Amino acid sequence: MSRNFYPELVRVDALDKVRGATKFGTDNRPDNLVHGAFAVATIGKGRVISIDTAAAEALPGVVSVITHRNTTSLKPAQFLMGGGFAFQTHSPLLTDHVAYRGQPIALVLAETLEVAIDATAVLQVSYEEQPFAATIDNPLAEPIAQAEAPMRYPLEDISVGDAPAAYEGGAVKVDSTFTMERQFQNPMELIGTVAAWEGDRLTIHEGTQNAGGCKFGVADQLGINPDNVTVISPFIGGGFGQKNSMQSQLVLAAFASRELGRPVKIVVPRRQLFHDATSRPATRQRVRLAANRDGRLVGALYDVDAQTSKLDFFPAEHADTAARFYGYPAFKSFTRLIRTDIPTPGYMRAPFEHATAFAIESAMDELAYKLDMDPIELRLRNDTAVDVVSGLPHSSRHVAECLRRGAETFGWSRRDPTPRSMFAPNGDLIGMGVAIGLYSGSGGPTRARITARRDGAVSLNVGVHEMGQGVLTAITNVVSKRLGIPASAITATVGVTSGVPQPLTAGSWGSASAVPATEAACDALMKALAEAGVDISASLPLGEMVARTGAGQMQVEASSVAPGQELQVLGRTDTGRVAPAGPVYPGFVAFSYAAHFVEVHVEGSTGRIRVPRVVSMFDCGRVLSPRTARSQAIGGVVWGIGGTLREGAETDARYGGVMNGDIAEYLIPVNADIGSIEPGFIDEPDFQVNRSGVKGLGEVVMAGVAPAIINAVYHATGIRVRDLPLRLEALLKPQA
Amino acid sequence: MTMNHEKEVIADTGGLSRRDVLKGGTALGVLSVAGFGTQSLAQAAVPSLPMAFRTEVEVAFRINGAQTALALDPRSSLLDVLRDQLGLTGAKKGCDHGQCGACTVHVDGRRVAACMTLAVQVDDLDVTTIEGLAEGDVLHPMQQAFIDHDALQCGYCTPGQIMAGVACVREGHAGSPQQIREYMSGNLCRCGAYPGIVAAIEDAARVMEG
Amino acid sequence: MKRFDYARPMDLESAVATLSAGGEGTRLIAGGTTMFDLMKLDVEMPGRIVDINNLSELKTMETSGDELRLGALVRMADAAEDARLKAEFPVLSEALWKAASQQLRNMASLGGNLLQRTRCAYFRHGAPFACNKRNPGSGCAAIGGANRSHALFGGSDACIAAYPGDFAVALIAMDALIDVAGPQGRRTIPIAELHRQPGTQPQHDATLSSEEIIVQIRIPANAVGKASTYHKIRDRESYAFAVVSSAAAVRIENGVVADARIALGGVATVPWRASRAEQALIGRRIDAQTAAEAGRIAFEGATPLSHNAFKIELGANVVSDALMIAAGRA
Repeated sequence: MSRNFYPELVRVDALDKVRGATKFGTDNRPDNLVHGAFAVATIGKGRVISIDTAAAEALPGVVSVITHRNTTSLKPAQFLMGGGFAFQTHSPLLTDHVAYRGQPIALVLAETLEVAIDATAVLQVSYEEQPFAATIDNPLAEPIAQAEAPMRYPLEDISVGDAPAAYEGGAVKVDSTFTMERQFQNPMELIGTVAAWEGDRLTIHEGTQNAGGCKFGVADQLGINPDNVTVISPFIGGGFGQKNSMQSQLVLAAFASRELGRPVKIVVPRRQLFHDATSRPATRQRVRLAANRDGRLVGALYDVDAQTSKLDFFPAEHADTAARFYGYPAFKSFTRLIRTDIPTPGYMRAPFEHATAFAIESAMDELAYKLDMDPIELRLRNDTAVDVVSGLPHSSRHVAECLRRGAETFGWSRRDPTPRSMFAPNGDLIGMGVAIGLYSGSGGPTRARITARRDGAVSLNVGVHEMGQGVLTAITNVVSKRLGIPASAITATVGVTSGVPQPLTAGSWGSASAVPATEAACDALMKALAEAGVDISASLPLGEMVARTGAGQMQVEASSVAPGQELQVLGRTDTGRVAPAGPVYPGFVAFSYAAHFVEVHVEGSTGRIRVPRVVSMFDCGRVLSPRTARSQAIGGVVWGIGGTLREGAETDARYGGVMNGDIAEYLIPVNADIGSIEPGFIDEPDFQVNRSGVKGLGEVVMAGVAPAIINAVYHATGIRVRDLPLRLEALLKPQA
Repeated sequence: MTMNHEKEVIADTGGLSRRDVLKGGTALGVLSVAGFGTQSLAQAAVPSLPMAFRTEVEVAFRINGAQTALALDPRSSLLDVLRDQLGLTGAKKGCDHGQCGACTVHVDGRRVAACMTLAVQVDDLDVTTIEGLAEGDVLHPMQQAFIDHDALQCGYCTPGQIMAGVACVREGHAGSPQQIREYMSGNLCRCGAYPGIVAAIEDAARVMEG
Repeated sequence: MKRFDYARPMDLESAVATLSAGGEGTRLIAGGTTMFDLMKLDVEMPGRIVDINNLSELKTMETSGDELRLGALVRMADAAEDARLKAEFPVLSEALWKAASQQLRNMASLGGNLLQRTRCAYFRHGAPFACNKRNPGSGCAAIGGANRSHALFGGSDACIAAYPGDFAVALIAMDALIDVAGPQGRRTIPIAELHRQPGTQPQHDATLSSEEIIVQIRIPANAVGKASTYHKIRDRESYAFAVVSSAAAVRIENGVVADARIALGGVATVPWRASRAEQALIGRRIDAQTAAEAGRIAFEGATPLSHNAFKIELGANVVSDALMIAAGRA
C-alpha cells in the first residue's frame, strides 16, 4: 500500500468530544429560556378544522400555544431543490393543511419541557380527513415521468445508443427488479433549535449542515434582513443529509421567541423526526443487462420508480450513477417519481447511489453466474476510461485497482464460486461477495479566511460544517503541511455565519470544496507576506514572518470554485444557495469509487446473517487526513450493513406515517452487528477535479456495500434477495 | 384469612381490580400455596402507615462529587435535570426512551440511562457524568483511548459511549472483543465508530486493570 | 406526560398501604424502564406514583439453597451475573443478559421485568390507533395491520399483542413461583398464572390487582436447570426484542430424556409453555431428529397472521436449536 501523502493527525476536536465539552446546538441554554413542544396530526391527510387550546393554556407553566391561526405574518418555506432553503415547500403550522400523519399542528411554549409536552396532549383538535397514499404501491399514489415533471432543475432520462435493441440482441441477459423501503438518517443528535433575539438581531443555535441556508431561509420566512441573523453550528451530532436544509421547527422557534421576547428551545423528539423530516425514498428498480458470452456488456435498460411527496418533486438521480458503472455501449433509463402523502424525501448518505448500486451490482452478480465468470473479472472487462453519457474521459478512475487490491487483501482467490459450497466450523454457510460503488466527484464555491499572528498562532475560518467527517482535522492538516506549522498552532472554525459564508455541506463536496479554498488562503497569506516585504523563501517561522511586517497579525481571505464555474457563483453561496458542480465538468467527468468485499455467515436454521469481515478499497483522490478518512470509511460500511440488513420503514396503509418510528423498532446497527472492517485507499490525487486532488469520500464509502452483502448471501445460500431490508424471513421462504 | 369483599378498587390498565381477582378462581386458589417466606399473613396484615404523596419533591444527591439539592417536578428525568437545571450537557438526548445510550451516566457507579431515570430516584445517590470522569486535566484512560483509536466521529454519542465503556470494564465485561461488542450494544453510534470503540475499550481495560 | 404525585415508602407494608391509599390511578414504579417509558408515551397516565426502590427487603438474592429466591427489586444485571444462575441455570442468566442493554438491565427490576408491557406499536403510540389493551373497546388495529411482531399463540379477536419479555419465558420453563403482597396479605402464584391471555379483556396483562406488589421469585433448584439455554433470535445481534426465542432445558438419564422444558417467547400473548413438545421428548434420545420433531410440535396450533407466518418454520428451528444447545450441556 502506498504511503499517505498527508500525515496521521489526531482528530483535532477529539479532546473536547471525549470530555463532553463540545457544545452542540441544543446544549445551549440561555437565561429565561422557554421550552417548545409540538402536537402532531393524527390523521393521514386533511385539514385542521379547529384546535381548542383552552385546556393547554390553563396548565400552570404554559406560556403560549401557537397554531396556524397565529402565524399569518410568516412566509411559507421554499423547497431546497425548488430554489429555497427548506427540506420541503410545506410549512407546518402556517396553514390548516395536514399533508401527512405526524405533521406538527401546534407548538406549545412552556416554562419547562415537562409542561410543554404535557400540554400538547390536552389540545382538542378536530379534522377534516382526506384519502391518502403513504406508500408507492398504493392505488392513490401518483406516478409521473420525471422528465415531464415541472421541476426547477429538470432531469432528463439518459439514452445512449439503441439500448432496447442491444438488449434484445444480447447473448446472455438478466432482468431483475429490486425494491427498497424508505430509510431514515437518524443522526444521534436530534434536530432542534435554540433561538434568541437581542433587539432585532436573531441568534440561532442549531446543528445544521447548512448554516447559510438556515440564515437566509429563516430571514425570508420572518421577513427580516438576513444580516441580522447569525446561525451557529460549529459541531453537528451527525447529519447524514437530514440536516442539510431548513427544518420545520426553525422558523417557529424564531417566531415564538420574537413573540414572547424570550429565548426558545425546541428539540424535536425522535418519533417526530420519522414523521416531519426527510428520508431516503422508497424505490423500485428494474435492471436489464445484456452481455456477450465473453462478458462484455452490450446494453442496459434501467427503470426507476422513486418515491416523492405530493408537495415537491424530490429529484431522483439514480440513473446518473447507474450509467457510470460500466462502459455500456448502449444505455437507457426511465425514471418515474411516485407522489405520495409523506414529507418530501431528501438526501440520506449515498442518497441514490446506495439503491442504484444495490440494483446494478446485484444484477451484475446474476450476470456473472449466468456467464460462469468470476464477478471481478466481469467487472474488469466492462471498466471504462470514458463516460458513456457525455463521451468525456474520466478524470481519474481507479476502480479496477480498487478491485485488484481489495481482492488480494480479502483473499478472494480462496472463494469457491459455487453457492452453498463453503462452511464455517459451526456449520454456518459462508458467502463471499463483491461489488463496486461510485459517487459524483463534486465541488463548489467556498471561501476561507486565515489569520496569522506574530506569536505563531493561526486561525482558520472556512465555509464548511464539521459533522463528524473530520473536516476540521483535514483542513488543519492541510494548513499545517502547507505553512509548515504544527497543527497545535492552528484553530479552525466552521459552521458559524458571522465569519465567511457557510454553504451547505453535503454531497461529498465538503472537503473537495473547503480544502482547495483553504489552500488558496494559505497561498494568499504567503503572497501577502511577500507583498509586505517579507522574504518568504528564508524558511522563517510563520510568526516571525508576520512580526517582520510590523503588524500584530495578518488576515487574508481566498475562495475557490469548481472547474468550469465562474467566480460569480460565489454570490450564490454568499446568499445561502446551493451551487455545487459535478460530476460533468468541461472536458472530463469525475467520480469517486469503492470496491467492497464482504464475507457473510448464514445460520441455516434461522437465516441469521452475520458480517464478520469486510474489506473495502477506495479511490477518493488524495487522502487528506488518514485517520479520520479511515473512520469515515468504516462508518460508511456500517451504514451499508444497516441499510441492507436492518433498516426500512414499516407503514400501515390505513394510517400513513411510520409504524416503527423509533430507534428501538427502526433498527440501526449496534456494536454486536459489526465485525472486522478493513478500509484501504488508493490515495492517487486527481488534480483535474481541484487543485488539492480531492474527490469526495463520505458517501462512496457506503455505495456498493448492499450488493456486496446480497451477492455474498447468494453465494452462501443460493437465494437471490431483491428486496431490502433483508430480514430473517427472506431466507426462510421456500426457494423459487 | 379475611378479605374485604366490600372494597372495590378500579383497575387501571396494568392489572386486575381486586374484584376481578376475587372473581377469578385461579387467583384465590393459589393463596394456599405453602412455603411463602417466614412472615405469617397475620403479620403481613399489620397496618402500616402510607407515605404522603408529594407534588414537588426535594432531592439531594452528589453530582460529580459535589452535593446538590433540588426541588423537582417528579416527572423530570435525570437527563433533563442534568442538562437543563445543572448545566451538565455532556449527557445527550438521542431518543428519550432508553433506546440509544447517549444519556449514559453512572449512578452509584453503575451505568444507567439517564433519560429513563426519574430524577427523584437518585435521591441520596452518587451521580457521575462525563464531566466528572477526568481528574482535572488528566483524562481518564478511557477518554485517552477513545482519542488514540479515533473511536468517535461526530462526538454526540461519545460521552455515553465512554461512560458505558468505563462501566463495561469495571463490570468485568471487557474480556474479549466479542464480549465488549455485546456489552456495548446499548450505545448506538450512527457514525459507525464501533470497531474503534471496541479497540479503545480493550486498550483502556489494560490500563484500568493495570 | 401527565403530572403525578410521588411517594417513596421505606418498607413493604408501607408501600402496600401507600398504594391502597393512593386509590385509582396509582401505579408502582421500580426500575422505570417500562413505566416511565409508557408514561412518556401517555400510554400509562398515573396520577400518583409509588416508588418502591427503597424496599430493601425486596433486594435480596438467595441462591444457595434448594430454592432460588430472587427479590423483586434485584436488578436484571445482578441476577444475570449470579454465579449459581450462570452455572446451574444458564437459561435464566441468558434470558437476563440477552434482554435490553446493560444500562437498562442495571435499572430494571426482576419484578418489573415480568410485568413488562407489549411492544405492539398500535398500543404504544396512542392516537389514532385502535387498541383494546390501551383503550378498551376501541378495537385492534394490529389485526390486519403491521403484525410481524405479533402473537401466533394466545391471541383473541380483541388483541394479538405479543408478550415481549425474556426472563418470564425462562421462568415458566423452570416452574417458578411468584410471591405477592397486597392489602389482604401475601399469596403465591405459579408463574404460569401470572400473565393473562387477552381474551375479551386485553387491558389486563396480569392477574395481579392494582394494589399488589411482587415480592420475590422462587425457583425450585432441581437438576433440570443445568442443561438449559435461552436461545433468542433477533433482527439484530443485540439490543432487540425476540423475533422468536426459546427457553429449553433437559434432564438426561441413561441417555434418554427424563425431563424436558420448552417455552417460547416473542410469539405468544403470554410466556408460552410448549408442554406437548416436552412430552414428546420424554424417554427418547435427543438428536437432530427428535429435536426438530419437538420444534414442529411446539408450533402446532399456531395461528399465523398476515406478516408472521415465517415464524412457524423459524420458531420450530429455534426450539430445535435450543434443545441441541441444552442437551450439549447435559
